[in-house]
Amino acid sequence: MLGEKPVIICRCNDVTIEDIINAVEAGIDHFEVLRKYLKIGFGPCQGRSCLLLAARIFAKLTGRRIEEVISEYRVRPPIVPIPVRVLLAGVIE
Amino acid sequence: MRIIVIGGGISGLFIAYELLKRGIRDIIVIEEKYLSAGGSGRNIGCFRSSFTSPEHVILMKRSIELWLNYRSELGLELKQSGYLWIARKPETLEVFEKLSVFHRNYGIPTRVLSIDEVEHVQPGLNKDIIAGALFDPMAGRMPIFENLVKLYLKLKTLGVIFHFYTKAIRLNSSGYRVKSVITSKGEIYGDIFIVSAGGKGTRELLATVNIEFPVIDETRHPIITEPYAEILKPALIIDWDTPGAPYVTQTEHGGIIFARNIADIPEALLTSHRIDVIGLTIKPIIELLPILKYVNILRYWIGYYETTPDHHPIYGPIYPYENLYVAAGFSGHGLMMGPITGLLIADWVLNGKPSIPIAENLTLERFKIGKLVKEIAIVG
Repeated sequence: MLGEKPVIICRCNDVTIEDIINAVEAGIDHFEVLRKYLKIGFGPCQGRSCLLLAARIFAKLTGRRIEEVISEYRVRPPIVPIPVRVLLAGVIE
Repeated sequence: MRIIVIGGGISGLFIAYELLKRGIRDIIVIEEKYLSAGGSGRNIGCFRSSFTSPEHVILMKRSIELWLNYRSELGLELKQSGYLWIARKPETLEVFEKLSVFHRNYGIPTRVLSIDEVEHVQPGLNKDIIAGALFDPMAGRMPIFENLVKLYLKLKTLGVIFHFYTKAIRLNSSGYRVKSVITSKGEIYGDIFIVSAGGKGTRELLATVNIEFPVIDETRHPIITEPYAEILKPALIIDWDTPGAPYVTQTEHGGIIFARNIADIPEALLTSHRIDVIGLTIKPIIELLPILKYVNILRYWIGYYETTPDHHPIYGPIYPYENLYVAAGFSGHGLMMGPITGLLIADWVLNGKPSIPIAENLTLERFKIGKLVKEIAIVG
């Protein structure tokens, strides 16, 4: 999977294939731990562009099925970044 | 001697680490899900010793010293950038003065700040609505997962066995000894059993050996923004005079996290999202630090404060069992107490008593004899 140039998987946080391989080789054995450790899906895209790519690489490296690898992933609201002023509009204490 | 640790969060990891350092080689950690799937991976990464009970102050001060040692010993990362407790009401400063005297008696150099001094600690605060603050320079924050993963990988290298996706269903006892733990993947035998499985998890498991464990999981709803360059200078800013004490921190990655204690359904599920908490949590913080009205909210998640009746953890042996111990019910402070939890539980298991005597006040027995610990400042 490694080419000459770094291949970026998570564009929000510049996580490369090499970062994922290194983390798995170091002993990270669950996708949620990898995700939280490398901050995959923690940027503004919330995983919409990187999550499946990262999951597929992790599945391949660990010999698991992709469904199993992403089974703990939860989509967290709001789905897209929202300016604070929008969320403050309806606050009633 | 085989020791079984039930719970793969920060407490379980530090218990295993401390036992290893004292010569125990046969340690098995079992975890219902993945590493730190519970509170250890859902908190905001802050620590402090500026509490209002001698138990918390003494133990947390020692815990911070241990965290600092682990920077070189384990390569962990943390930064002591301080906690800033904001007072909106002038009379709150009198409370802060008393607290500061109490803290300094225990060697924690908190101090009360005037409005101008507060601005020096955090530029951009709205001086029109604040009266002053209490500052704790020993408090701070850390990148949680970097530290958890480093500790976990170290333990694996040292021979600790981890069983993930293995739920402890019940303890199997004979007389006053626990023989084994029945898990979703079979029965595991051991000589000593230590339960550190969060709030509800610990309560349900101990109920299988007829032990009542008074803890309830209360939801918290932290909200994080997109990453920004450093805006927040102290590790945590707390709006002390607003109900639910809203607070804000900025992670090493740049995200700004807001949280507040908001009434919710008891033990609501981790997936029971509420859009209303976002505005309720952020509004008072933006009054204090108006620049934050320009940030974008990225996501929010739910975690639990595993709360005991006196908001202190429950540590130590579980009578009448000879080989059963607990470390749970941290009431929002499990991460920061991690190192001291490891030290105290190893003391109890190997020496029969804690090396810091005041920890004796935190056993489960206190609820039977009605000797609860008093604490008034429970945030972050």
